[in-house]
Amino acid sequence: MAFGDYPKEYNPSVHGPYDPARFYGKPDTPFGQVKISEIGSWLARRNKTPSAFMGAVSRAWWRWQHKYVQPKRVGMAPFFQLLVANMAFFYAINYGKIKHHRNYKYH
Amino acid sequence: MLSRVALRSVVARQSAPTALVARTSASDACGVRDEKNFPRPIRGEPGKVRLGFIPEEWFQFFHSKTGVTGPYTFGAGLITYLFSKEIYVMEHEYYTGLSIFVMVYYATVKFGPPISKWLDKEVDQIETDLNQGRVETVKSLEEAIVTEKDAQWRAQGQELLIQAKKENVLLQLEAAYRERLMNTYQEVKRRLDFQLEKAALERRFEQKHLVDWVITNVSKAITPDQEKQTLDRCIADLAALAQK
Repeated sequence: MAFGDYPKEYNPSVHGPYDPARFYGKPDTPFGQVKISEIGSWLARRNKTPSAFMGAVSRAWWRWQHKYVQPKRVGMAPFFQLLVANMAFFYAINYGKIKHHRNYKYH
Repeated sequence: MLSRVALRSVVARQSAPTALVARTSASDACGVRDEKNFPRPIRGEPGKVRLGFIPEEWFQFFHSKTGVTGPYTFGAGLITYLFSKEIYVMEHEYYTGLSIFVMVYYATVKFGPPISKWLDKEVDQIETDLNQGRVETVKSLEEAIVTEKDAQWRAQGQELLIQAKKENVLLQLEAAYRERLMNTYQEVKRRLDFQLEKAALERRFEQKHLVDWVITNVSKAITPDQEKQTLDRCIADLAALAQK
């Protein structure tokens, strides 16, 4: 599978138009329904290659797109979400510098 | 829209062998379209959010366990904890952020509704424009159906008309037949009358001729003696009658 190709499991004649937010492989138990005792085996079953990880991130991105950005009448919500996520991200990467600005020694 | 562009560019970037595989796999025996598990994606309504950006599902996740105020309590408690332990440090950028938040809030409240109204109008306009061709095609096809039905109705009327015309022709044929019959009858009667009249005339002429001939011959056969004898006899008869 090269860059820009469809996933191997995707078959246009069966699945119809390609949905980038969708996982076309064999579905496992959703993470929300996994019992604590089964988490280890559930994680062991995961495909941990970089391409699979990128695929998961891409699907999450497109799920967010389809839910908040792509509908017909969108409000400001996706922009605010992006703004807050960016604030959190940049706060996290700058935390090493920001923490020197603390006002109190003891908390 | 963007996703479609992305899809199209992905399709365009497909290498030739992959595209060929995708095309040939459509004719596979197992390649039956699974409409139930993989329905065609539709463009839905945007996801609900609270406080401008927090997904409604997160509040629902708390709702079953902590009630309505639970998520707010959690959020306020989390923020208080972050402030209190200075995990979130209130340095100068924090106050910049506060002032920016005030500006963004004011702008959203003040300009949000008119802008969203205008954008909704634009979206409706675009959708109407995109649909217009289809709608007009449907309309014209419906009109064509109505016209076709009308034409069929007219054709049925034509059949009636042709039937009536056929009946009319039959009536004319009948009339012509009867007229000729009458004509024949009259002609035959005329000829028969002629024959009758001719026969009667001939008979009359023959009779007259015979009578004339008989009278002529009889008067020719009477001699003066006979005449005189008859005359004498007549006088004698008259005298005998006069005596009585």
